[in-house]
Amino acid sequence: MLEKIANRIKITEKALDAAWLRNEAISQNIANVDTPGYKRKTVEFEKYLDGALDGFKLKGNVSNEKHIPIGRIDAEKLEIKAVSDNRGLDYRIDGNNVDIDNEMASLAKNTIRYNMLVETLNAGLRRIKSAISEGRR
Amino acid sequence: MGYLDSIDIGASALTAQRLRMDIISQNIANINTTRTDKGTPYRRKLVVFEERSPSAPFSTYLSESSKKIIGKGVRVARIAEDESPFKKIYEPGHPDADENGYVFMPNVDIVAEMVDMISATRAYEANVTSINSAKDMAMKTLQIGK
Repeated sequence: MLEKIANRIKITEKALDAAWLRNEAISQNIANVDTPGYKRKTVEFEKYLDGALDGFKLKGNVSNEKHIPIGRIDAEKLEIKAVSDNRGLDYRIDGNNVDIDNEMASLAKNTIRYNMLVETLNAGLRRIKSAISEGRR
Repeated sequence: MGYLDSIDIGASALTAQRLRMDIISQNIANINTTRTDKGTPYRRKLVVFEERSPSAPFSTYLSESSKKIIGKGVRVARIAEDESPFKKIYEPGHPDADENGYVFMPNVDIVAEMVDMISATRAYEANVTSINSAKDMAMKTLQIGK
C-alpha cells in the first residue's frame, strides 16, 4: 500500500519537473517574441505519460524483483523532453512562430497545473503521515 | 535546468526591451536633427534581437540532460542603422539647405516609432508576468510537505 502511494508521489514529482521545465520554455518563448527566426520551444511529457497509462488495463503480479512490471507506471522511465516547435512558419514574416496570446494562456495554465500538482503531492504525503500516526490526526 | 532559470530568462528580456525603448526615445528625440558627427542627418537606429543559446558544457549534450536544455533568454546582438533614404523637404530658409533649397531630414517615421514603443511596452509587461508566475511557482514549491 505504501509502495503504491510512493509510486504515485514519484509520478507526481515527474509531472512537477515537467511543469517547471515548461514554465522555463514559456518564459523563453515570451522573452524571444521579437527575435527574428526564433522557433518556439515546448516540453513533451503528457504524451509519454499517456503512453505509459495505455498499458494500465492489464495488471501483472510482481513476485520477483527481476519481473517486468506490467500495468504499473515506472516513474523513473517517464520522459521529459524539450523540443523546438517548427509549425506555423507562415504566421509571421520574420520566421518567428511565437504567438504571444497563446504563450500567456499556456503560462496561466501551467502555473495552475503546478499548484494542483503540489496539492496532490501534499495529499499523498499527508496520507503517509496519517498512516504513521495510526490515523490519529 | 537550473533552479529559477525562468526568472533569469525573463530578466534578460526586460533588459533587452528596455534598451529597445531607449533607442526608440533616441529616434523620437532626433526626429528633426540635421547634423551629426558623420556630417549627415540623423539615421534611425534599431535593435537586433538574438536568442541567447544555452551555455552548457559539451558533456551535457552527450548525456540525458540534453533533453532539458531550453535556452538563456534573449539579448541585443547589435544596434543597427536604418539605411533607407533621408526625407527631402523644401525649406530654403534652413541653414542646412542645399543650393536648390532642399533639406535632408532624418529617416525617422514618428508613427512607426510610436507603434514600436507600444510593442516594446507590451513585451515588457508580458515578461513581468512571466517572472511573477515563476516566482509564484517557486513559492508554491516551498509548501510541499507542509
